[in-house]
Amino acid sequence: MLARRLRSTLPALSRRWQTTASTTAIEPPSASGHSSSVASSQLLRITRESALRTPGISWQDEESDRNFVGGRETRKMNLYQAVRDALSIALAKDDSAVIFGEDIAFGGVFRCTMGLAEEFGRERVFNTPLTEQGIAGFGIGLASMGHTAIAEIQFADYIFPAFDQLVNEAAKFRYRSGGHFSIGGLTVRTPTMAVGHGGLYHSQSPEGFFMGASGLKVVIPRSPIQCKGLLLSAIRDPNPVIFMEPKVLYRSAGTFPIPPCVHTLIPPTVEQVPIDDYALPLSRAEILIPGSDLTLLTWGTPVYHCESALRLLNSPPPSLAPLIPPSLRSAKVELIDLRTILPWDIETVVESVRRTKRLVIVHEAGMTGGVGGEIAAEVGKRAFLRLEAPVRRITGWE
Amino acid sequence: MLSTLPASTLSGCLPTTRSPAVSKLAFFNSVTGGGSKIPNYRVLDALGAPIEGAEVPEISEQFAWRLYENMQLLSTLDDILCSAQRQGRIPFYSLTLISLKYGEEATVIGSAAALADDDEVLSQYRETGVLLWRGFTLDGIMAQVFGNHEDSSKGRQIAVHYGSKQHHFHAVSSPLATQIPQAAGVGFALKRDPERRSKNIACVFFGEGAASEGDFHAGMLLASTVPSPTLFLARNNGFAISTPNSQQFYGDGISARGPGYGVDTVRVDGNDVLAVMNAVKEARRLCLEGGRAVLVEMMTYRVGHHSTSDDSYAYRERQEVEDRNRNDNPITRFRLFMESQGWWNESDEQELLFRLRRDVIKALKRAETVKKPGLEDMFTDVYADEPWNIREQREELMALLKKYGQVWKPWQNELGTLKNGG
Repeated sequence: MLARRLRSTLPALSRRWQTTASTTAIEPPSASGHSSSVASSQLLRITRESALRTPGISWQDEESDRNFVGGRETRKMNLYQAVRDALSIALAKDDSAVIFGEDIAFGGVFRCTMGLAEEFGRERVFNTPLTEQGIAGFGIGLASMGHTAIAEIQFADYIFPAFDQLVNEAAKFRYRSGGHFSIGGLTVRTPTMAVGHGGLYHSQSPEGFFMGASGLKVVIPRSPIQCKGLLLSAIRDPNPVIFMEPKVLYRSAGTFPIPPCVHTLIPPTVEQVPIDDYALPLSRAEILIPGSDLTLLTWGTPVYHCESALRLLNSPPPSLAPLIPPSLRSAKVELIDLRTILPWDIETVVESVRRTKRLVIVHEAGMTGGVGGEIAAEVGKRAFLRLEAPVRRITGWE
Repeated sequence: MLSTLPASTLSGCLPTTRSPAVSKLAFFNSVTGGGSKIPNYRVLDALGAPIEGAEVPEISEQFAWRLYENMQLLSTLDDILCSAQRQGRIPFYSLTLISLKYGEEATVIGSAAALADDDEVLSQYRETGVLLWRGFTLDGIMAQVFGNHEDSSKGRQIAVHYGSKQHHFHAVSSPLATQIPQAAGVGFALKRDPERRSKNIACVFFGEGAASEGDFHAGMLLASTVPSPTLFLARNNGFAISTPNSQQFYGDGISARGPGYGVDTVRVDGNDVLAVMNAVKEARRLCLEGGRAVLVEMMTYRVGHHSTSDDSYAYRERQEVEDRNRNDNPITRFRLFMESQGWWNESDEQELLFRLRRDVIKALKRAETVKKPGLEDMFTDVYADEPWNIREQREELMALLKKYGQVWKPWQNELGTLKNGG
């Protein structure tokens, strides 16, 4: 109720955190126990109306009224199509923008650049030799001349050869030159996280390694609408940005059971994505489900695992019911998508924890040295006296 | 079943060659063919006289003076700054002052003279000569070395890590070879820019040691395949700190690698400033015309120690250094050439050295009195905007300064050296 009233007075109000609150309601699972049908998510905006009301959306058209929503079109897109749409807009509007990386030209191993070489030409959408340090270095040089350099690292697992360029050069470029040189035009896109069959080297979540690289931004979207808006913001942000796309969310159809938990099915991440040029803000977390008893903070693929978990907690199937005390089942958990990992939205998280008094952070990357530890330390410092339990982390096994 | 395909289609998928089929199994190990080694292009001999068949460039007396004066200036700067460091006058944090040139003056001045003033230069740290050639002031040099508030990089970097947008000289960073693939990107930007395409190139300097890094390989690959107009200038000075060439690579230097990338390559006598100038000029022309990487290896010798933290006699014979300095001195060779042209004499020499020393010492003394940047400047430029963590850390330091800055002597002394008292 409160959320709906506040939202109707936007954008006049400058409420820092945006929430999808009133459009979500947790649906109980089927009576038989686990979903035999295709998993669904209430967090995905599958109608034009809900899509156009994505919190924080900022239209980037030159002519029309910035907040005009009425006649805008949306199109059904999955995550890789949303990436491609964003890239297409970036290249169309910015003559200096180029896209490069391994296997980009034919469309990319995840189809994120399909058709772009044909549309914009091979001088603007091209393959590089197989060298991540070369890709990153080349992108830095290009961006240092004021151009928009959109590099792709084929899998986040292979970002490590580029680590020197990213941490020693990209992150420090502006600082070390006293502000005279900068590489704001650099964006490094890379598929990240588990896909189910990827093994050790097609599944990693390396965002934690970059937390110490002050000067870099790290962004991780959860859905097509989020991806397009955040990617366009990242490309246009005057700082170098690493944009990590959860690869299991790229494709349209099917559900992918992630072993061993068969209950956790990834829903088809398809939304009605606005076809216009729009931005979503960096360094702003989003409250997806409002709550009052515990704050659950996550990003990327685990957003959907968390949503499923909350469903199960709320209405456990008969097989699990004995294990979940009835008192817990009415817990109102606040689910937050962090979206930008560095610099992260400490204000939204702390405000939430001050209300709920409990924080659990969920990330796919392993516990030790993961982003969760950093967040836990900062939140612990600021909300210590309010917390009723230590900050906990649920992470991938190391 | 005999293949009906013509032999040439069986030769693989190489971009620029069609490998003929041969019946004799023969290994090769020379890029110049027949086991020969890559030759060394030269104009002047050790005594400054043109060698037989030399292509002496047409330069005016004035231009020759400019070449010579800049080489001597580099040498003078090295000498005085190293002495100042030994006397403790260069601040503590700049303890390691990289030997500016000592012995390699011709490589950098010769190259700088062959480039256009607005060609984008990315360097390693021994190329201050390019800045001097382009008019960077001694005050600017000293500001960076002393890290005072006049330094364009706000005193943030170790000594000799210059950067100047105005002079198209990209800020230096300590990690070796990282600038090499970046140069390929800079070159690509020039190619994409209608105003600068066919006018400017990106030029990247690096030592033979840095060329062992993966970034060298990456940079050559990018600039040769994309392609982009990037000129690769390798200074082969014999040592990477204490590591001699024999422990750095086994092939015929850096130039042997060029053809491996399909890149036009030349090796030149780096202590012959006219040869360097000729070679780089032609390399630049090829680079602009082809829009692709070109490689120049400049052979020289690092007479000086690696830095003020190094004593090279720990790993090489003093006699070797003195012999090289006497027998193959870039400054001496060019001076003898100028004298043979009637452009130089002993009194010109005395006058020049006196003037250069005076100017350098004057700039040094002045820089010593200029205050360091205020501490607020330590926190700017991390991002374009200021995120909360940077802001909080800045505020925390300011609070600490407020609390202790007036009462704790060591801090008081330190703050006194800063602009606005910190």
